[in-house]
Amino acid sequence: MANLVIDNVKKSYGSTEILKGINISIKAGEFLILVGPSGCGKSTLMNSIAGLEDVTEGRILIADNDVTYTSPKDRDIAMVFQSYALYPNMTVEQNISFGLEMRKVPKAERDVEVQRVADMLQIDHLLNRKPAQLSGGQRQRVAMGRALARRPQLYLFDEPLSNLDAKLRVEMRTEIKKLHKKLGTTIVYVTHDQIEAMTLADRIAVMKDGEVQQLGSPQEIYDNPANLFVAGFMGSPAMNFIPTKVVEKDGVPMLELATSTTVALPFPKPESLKDYVGKTILLGLRPEMITEPQPHKEGQPFVTTTDVEVEVTEPMGADTMILTRVNDAEINCRSNPMYPAEAGSIIKMMFDTSKAVVFDQKSGRRLDL
Amino acid sequence: MSNNTVGRKSSGLDKVFRIALYTVLIVVASFYLMPFVVMLITSLKDVEEIRTGTLLSLPASLHFDSWAKAWSSACTGSSCGGISPYFLNSFQIVIPAVMISTLLGAINGYVISLWKFRGSDLFFAALLVGCFIPFQVILLPMARTLGWLGIANTTTGLVFVHVVYGVAFTTLFFRNFYQSIPGELVKAARLDGAGFFTIFYRIILPVSTPIIVVTVIWQFTQIWNDFLFGVAFSGFDTQPVTVALNNLVNTSFGGKEYNVDMAAAIIAALPTLAVYVFAGKYFVRGLTAGAVKG
Amino acid sequence: MNTEAANSGSGQTQSGRPARLSLADWMPKIVMAPTVIVTLVCIYGYMIWTAVLSFTNSRMLPSYNFVGFDQYERLFNNDRWIVALTNLGIFGGMFIAICLFLGVTLAIFLDQKIRAEGALRTIYLYPMAISFIVTGTAWKWLLNPTNGLEKMMIDLGFEDFRFNWLADPDMVIYCLVIAAVWQASGFVMALFLAGLRGVDGDLIKAAHLDGASTFTTYRRIILPSLKPVFFSALVILSHIAIKSFDLVAALTNGGPGYSSDLPANFMYAHTFTRSQVGLGSASAMVMLGCVLAILVPYLYSELRGERHE
Repeated sequence: MANLVIDNVKKSYGSTEILKGINISIKAGEFLILVGPSGCGKSTLMNSIAGLEDVTEGRILIADNDVTYTSPKDRDIAMVFQSYALYPNMTVEQNISFGLEMRKVPKAERDVEVQRVADMLQIDHLLNRKPAQLSGGQRQRVAMGRALARRPQLYLFDEPLSNLDAKLRVEMRTEIKKLHKKLGTTIVYVTHDQIEAMTLADRIAVMKDGEVQQLGSPQEIYDNPANLFVAGFMGSPAMNFIPTKVVEKDGVPMLELATSTTVALPFPKPESLKDYVGKTILLGLRPEMITEPQPHKEGQPFVTTTDVEVEVTEPMGADTMILTRVNDAEINCRSNPMYPAEAGSIIKMMFDTSKAVVFDQKSGRRLDL
Repeated sequence: MSNNTVGRKSSGLDKVFRIALYTVLIVVASFYLMPFVVMLITSLKDVEEIRTGTLLSLPASLHFDSWAKAWSSACTGSSCGGISPYFLNSFQIVIPAVMISTLLGAINGYVISLWKFRGSDLFFAALLVGCFIPFQVILLPMARTLGWLGIANTTTGLVFVHVVYGVAFTTLFFRNFYQSIPGELVKAARLDGAGFFTIFYRIILPVSTPIIVVTVIWQFTQIWNDFLFGVAFSGFDTQPVTVALNNLVNTSFGGKEYNVDMAAAIIAALPTLAVYVFAGKYFVRGLTAGAVKG
Repeated sequence: MNTEAANSGSGQTQSGRPARLSLADWMPKIVMAPTVIVTLVCIYGYMIWTAVLSFTNSRMLPSYNFVGFDQYERLFNNDRWIVALTNLGIFGGMFIAICLFLGVTLAIFLDQKIRAEGALRTIYLYPMAISFIVTGTAWKWLLNPTNGLEKMMIDLGFEDFRFNWLADPDMVIYCLVIAAVWQASGFVMALFLAGLRGVDGDLIKAAHLDGASTFTTYRRIILPSLKPVFFSALVILSHIAIKSFDLVAALTNGGPGYSSDLPANFMYAHTFTRSQVGLGSASAMVMLGCVLAILVPYLYSELRGERHE
């Protein structure tokens, strides 16, 4: 296991900057997830760590060794690809042992290692098959097996689960989590699936336009997004952004909310809104913070109950999403399926602003940090 | 189309239409077959029968003399040893030329598709033009070059020429084929510690069989059937069979022996016909998938 | 590539990072080098060389006395060249048109769930495997006036049947068309058949549900979707037409007189047998011009198309 330091890494093709100075450092055994929209540079960063692409500037250190100019094979890295990239002409066994063979490991040792990996991933019965004879899930396992066999210092996963169907994806996700717990490996993992990101990561790096927008634990990123982009990117359904006028009541800035009636919502850090009184800001409120009135929350400081008109309901089983409109913005609320809410009717909903965040409308900057 | 008519009673009109369709197809097929049939019939007649009979009249008895003569004693230009020496010349040219151009094409295609570097795409475009230039533009300079290299009028010279101008096509074939191989495969192999040649030899070549077959067939027919380079760059005793055949047909000592001409023509066509008959399926598949789709 | 080579030489790149001179990194470039050199020299270098020669008064051997456009002027005042060029127009035009028509028609016919499709396809296609020299030899025999087709028809009872195109300076070019069509049309058929097989089946079903007849479906839906195949076939056929040399050599040898010469034969004769290297080079350059006129738009659309994908 090794730590990884990405020190001010820049990469450009001609005048296009793909990576604009990335700084990430992860401890040995840590599970880092890179998320971001396509084209944000996460794959380029991944390839740079692996040595498959040169960087223009900056350094990459693995286990405190500068590997910026080391060729991929000497970095002691294994990678699991989105397409699995299994060698089509080789059997599963040969696929797993190829890396060992290239490193001149004797045949007997290779066999032992293949067996160990096969047992660990339960692919023992597939060893003599060719990739074309495997199902998607099996290929995925083999791809992981190939990475595990070499016991490298660092694992890179490039959207490894995105080609699986929903059910298998959940299974494999759990499996990867277990493997990481068991082996304590250092992993860098690219995904665009936020549930994967939330469930697997020790830390998440949210990227956009070749820059790290925020680096933190899943909970930090979820509860305390650094800016509008991160807030909107993480979470499903996405955080509601409500254009809200800051009004002053008894000398305290509050947030005005207009439905069929108008109320003012309290905000945990009113002092951060001082300069915005009379102006409109963006209030960020996760769907689960807008619910049916819950008796146990009644009377808590940042809870407000008001009337809203139901536009559409989307039953999701455990919850029902209620679409409504406040301050002329469409918002999602998460309610108990038992709560009566018919399209067109006016119902009471509870707004919990204890975890609300506010952003500047233009720049997307977080105002209450 | 016809699955639409399944379960429907075919009307009389449909039947007439089908009969007309088959008639047209068979008539056209006979147009394509006729020249070969005529060649075969003619080659088996004796000269007298040719003079009195018609193209399609069958020989009274089979004469194989013309085949023997075409093979070993007919006159082609200056010498009278039949076309057999030239037939062997063609093999001497074709086999190395096919092997070298296929190998180079495979490596070039591998680089252009999977190890792109700055300028490699531009170079590919430049090479593509090479597939299409009329060879008349390079004939004279090449003749001079072969002279300087001391391989003018040799089979080696012809191998060289065919490799040079075949590489554009073989590269195109392999490049198009390798385009469909995911780049991640090469990345995975690099991380596994394999180098440029190891990846080529252990991972890429083993999946290349279809395109190798196609390229070999294509190059074989192209080079075997070549006449222009053969006539421009070969010496008297290094001519390929196409040149010898043309000399044989256009040589007229005494009476014209059409039966010998035809036998020689069939002999000259046999290798490519055989390749086509035995491996034609791949040939068509490759031509349509590899060569044409840019 | 030049800039990269320069970088490696200096051992430092612009950004000032240490150069990596490991052999493995250079391998792709090293293995491509022979092809690159050969292509630059033997295709582009020779093209330029021939272009240079076309501006000289070279006769038997290349000389470098430049005479401007004299050779081109001579070329276009040369009756034989005009005949060759006209022949190329007639031959190329008819050859391409008939091949396309036959190819499309046969492909559509064969696409009707024909029982012996495999056998028929093989029969249509086998001429493609044969050398133009063999094709020329065969058709020379078939079309010869004394013992060939004419005699067969007369013997069959058509006393007045005359077919002496091979000996008729005005008609001989059509003999070339017949033989060339025989050889290449099956190939066009194969191209289109592959194209037809690649048409999305749902498209055809949709057209039928919309009430289109089979004929209409082909005309309005399927054939328009085969535009790229048309384009490829057109380029390949024009390429065959422009460099046709061996067929003429074997079938007519340019005769009677020079009435069936094509530019390729003109070029060869003047460069190698008539000691008119300058004139031959000029004719080669004109041929190159013809090819480029067809090729450049094609490649442009192909490469642009790829970028869209």
